Amino acid sequence: MSKVIANIRLFFQGAVLSYIALFAWLRPSTYIATKVVGPLAQILFFTLMGKFGTSGESADFYIIGNAIQITALSGIYGVTFSLAGDRWNGTLPYLFGTPANRMTMFLGRAVIHIIDGMFGVLIGFTWGVTLLGLDLSNTDPWALILVIAVTTFSTSGLGLMLGSLSLITRNVMFINNTAYFLLLVLSGSNIAIDRLPSALQAISNVLPLTRGIASARAIIDGATFRDVRPAMLEEIGIGIIYIMFGYVLFRWIEVLAKRRGTLEAM
Amino acid sequence: MNTIEVRDLRRIYKTTVGVVRRKIKEVVAVDGITFDVNRGELFGLLGPNGAGKTTMIKMLTTLLIPTDGTANILGYDVVHQANAIRSRIGFIFGGERGLYWRLSGIDNLRYFASLYHVDPEVTMKRIPQLLELVGLSDRGDEKVEGYSRGMKQRLHIARTLLHDPEILFLDEPTMGLDPVGGREIRQVIRDLQSEKKTILLTTHYMFEADALCERVAVIDQGRIVALDTPEALKQGVSDLSVIEIEVFGVPEEVMNQIRNLPFVDTVSVEDLDQKQALHVHSAKGSEAIPPLLSALESVRVGKVTVREPTLEDAYVRLVGGKV
Repeated sequence: MSKVIANIRLFFQGAVLSYIALFAWLRPSTYIATKVVGPLAQILFFTLMGKFGTSGESADFYIIGNAIQITALSGIYGVTFSLAGDRWNGTLPYLFGTPANRMTMFLGRAVIHIIDGMFGVLIGFTWGVTLLGLDLSNTDPWALILVIAVTTFSTSGLGLMLGSLSLITRNVMFINNTAYFLLLVLSGSNIAIDRLPSALQAISNVLPLTRGIASARAIIDGATFRDVRPAMLEEIGIGIIYIMFGYVLFRWIEVLAKRRGTLEAM
Repeated sequence: MNTIEVRDLRRIYKTTVGVVRRKIKEVVAVDGITFDVNRGELFGLLGPNGAGKTTMIKMLTTLLIPTDGTANILGYDVVHQANAIRSRIGFIFGGERGLYWRLSGIDNLRYFASLYHVDPEVTMKRIPQLLELVGLSDRGDEKVEGYSRGMKQRLHIARTLLHDPEILFLDEPTMGLDPVGGREIRQVIRDLQSEKKTILLTTHYMFEADALCERVAVIDQGRIVALDTPEALKQGVSDLSVIEIEVFGVPEEVMNQIRNLPFVDTVSVEDLDQKQALHVHSAKGSEAIPPLLSALESVRVGKVTVREPTLEDAYVRLVGGKV
């Protein structure tokens, strides 16, 4: 079997099996609570608070922002669990003892979460349309799906980086929660970027989601994909940068663990 | 060329002590070990806890970088040619971890087969064969979380054989198993031995090493203190008899008194629920019983027996009573 075919097989088989094996929410009750009910609560909370508690933005601003933000549930928590799960299972020494290509192994962990994340965003939009009257009559659906796909990809890139960090820290949830809530504040999902202090705006610009949320709002407002293409290319670039950082960290941790003898303690 | 060649291998672990004034503490786990394993040989590494057995296995399986010395597996260096080694060896560490509990046994094997780049057609054929070998044919499609400890350990063995490795490193494969589970694993190891696999086995159980291994290296405090066939090692204590005395709570000063008796070679204590068994090695045989009993006059004593030495007795003598 050629190495390329073997790696493709590992990529897809690893993607599916690692999702089933390592994703902590993969029980129907937990999945529904986390991926269906939780997002509804988030959208309702921020939309109602935004609409009635402040006079700034329309309800659509919050519905779209939070519906897209839901991708971070899979992109951050899901992907991180898929990497950290090997530490909890004690499978890391066995993985690092194989000749498998580390990049294939690493990237495969994110694939199903990207699909799952897109599905989560669609659930979010369903809540927005059915319960809060979000109007999609002016929206190019394929352009919106493309924006969701790109945004989910870039957020999963951040998740892969945080997942690598989870191999050297015991407090995975602290890292995940911090990242998730920073995105809630800084990605433009609930606070318009131009209202943030300039230092925070600079941070917003290097985060995933920021351009995705802005593009989704534009598409729903009637823009075409051509209009948001530059922002989407930047979003892809940001995702790739996070993936590269994450991969370098992943390899560095492997080498360090072999030097220090901490592989099974991870 | 030997299958495994180890030369002056050393591994030092560095740990930090203290919070404010941190000090680096060095622990020598493996201290200049040299040995060879021949093709098709079943070689045992014996030693008390902390002797350096697992550290040695980790270095030979490319999971730990040695501090000094060299180790070659099939002619490949464990540090610089790690990837060439990984596809040619299989390894398991004792215990239940290291499997995906939410996957079935078959899915665990499928995933590891793809990690080892095993051809899908070969995988399809080999998985049922391996499940048969380890006695899990009828449980392969069940989730691992429902497996007993012994079944998990047998699945580990099947996992490590997926890519048909030339060499197997088995680190305490029967650790924590009940007698039946342990016997099943030993039978699997015998089967692998008959297939001419080179096997490096670490174990705490002397009868296991005696029954399986062609040669044994006894490690203590990171160094090899003896390396020979089990028969030759037993020969080293053939001049001794072992007096086993059942006692109920023996104070340390009485133990010291027994250790200082001129005819006593070594003494070890085995805890057995509410009683202990003293294993006294002595050249005097049954003649040693009266003075031993008088040393134990303040202690409640049960059964006393005298027997011929085993490999375990040879081991106890070599490591100075540490078990």
